[in-house]
Amino acid sequence: MVSFAPELIFKIGQFPITNTLLNTLFVDATLIGGAFYISRNLQLVPKGKLQNITESVIETFYTLLVSVAENRAIKIFPYFMSFFLFILFANWSGLIPGIGTIGFWEHDKLIPFFRGTTSDLNTTLGLSLVSVVATHIMSINTIGIKDYLSRYFSLNPINLFVGILEIISEITKIISLSFRLFGNIFAGEVVLITVSSIFAFLVPLPFLLLEIIVGLVQALVFSMLTMVFMAILTIPHHAEKR
Amino acid sequence: MDIINNFGLDPFLLGTQVVNFLVILFVLKKFLYKPILELLKKRENTIKEGLAQAEAASIRLEKVIEDEKRILRGAQEQAKKIIESAKNEALEVSRQIREDSKKQTEKMISDAQDQIARESHETERRLSVYVSKIATSLLEKALSEFFSEKEQKEVLTKALKIVKKTN
Repeated sequence: MVSFAPELIFKIGQFPITNTLLNTLFVDATLIGGAFYISRNLQLVPKGKLQNITESVIETFYTLLVSVAENRAIKIFPYFMSFFLFILFANWSGLIPGIGTIGFWEHDKLIPFFRGTTSDLNTTLGLSLVSVVATHIMSINTIGIKDYLSRYFSLNPINLFVGILEIISEITKIISLSFRLFGNIFAGEVVLITVSSIFAFLVPLPFLLLEIIVGLVQALVFSMLTMVFMAILTIPHHAEKR
Repeated sequence: MDIINNFGLDPFLLGTQVVNFLVILFVLKKFLYKPILELLKKRENTIKEGLAQAEAASIRLEKVIEDEKRILRGAQEQAKKIIESAKNEALEVSRQIREDSKKQTEKMISDAQDQIARESHETERRLSVYVSKIATSLLEKALSEFFSEKEQKEVLTKALKIVKKTN
């Protein structure tokens, strides 16, 4: 049975190195290597497919963001795109055939060296924290501290109550973002392991395809929600009321 | 606490994931989004400039074609005028040449006629002198048999006078 917690591979001093952390490093290497490779080979008239694909993805997301956030798009875009790319690669890295079968045996249990990093709550919670904290910092920088605080605190009792609800909703954002992503990817892993242990060939394929789609959809959901939260919180409170 | 332990929440892992994502965010922003967005902007500007230049070139081309047609029309009209004027000039020159040649021919004919008249008059004169000489010689020979020398001279002188008168 797959455990919720990531498996410990080794320790450096007091710090645990888990299989999801190793997977994170693999995703990092892929993204950073890809970014360097693409940026070094950029041409005004693209010749390779890689530049074309990257450009079309970035342009599509940027155009979508501009339609939602207008002039704040340039500030929001790095978060929106980075969340999407990181989560997408993290989700799909856990689906690489054989990745969960390479490991070592411990107490008659196989401990894989790599496990999808988004199936670890530490990762999804970390991403949610970055998303929510960055949203609030951006909100303060864009609309000012006074306008920002007026969203949550007011002398009007009704508005004060709404503000308290807003604070609660901000906390629930962290929980909902992290648990949605974690739940979907972890559940997918469990399904794949279960189906693969019953049927070795062919039958797991539709589930694998489904998980590829789930990985894409979850990356889109997380990044889109972050984009929407950022777009909403960077509009001045009084303008939003109008 | 049990729930936290079950999910494997660890402050170190959580912090590592946060730092890791911030690093990824920084690297991707600096080395991927920024260059690509700048490139897209640059390409957009290049395309816009290209389209504007093409538009300007098209307008200029139309103007040049218009000018060319106008110049060509002017040149054709001028050429027509030049041809017409050259034609008139050639006709004038040819008429002048014809007149000159006619005058010259008439002069040549007149000169030739004068010369012929002069030459025929000279010939007649010479012939007369020659005939006189022959007549004198014949007369001398004929008279020498019938007259003395003195009479001969008188007859001869009279005869010559008559001949001269007749001439």
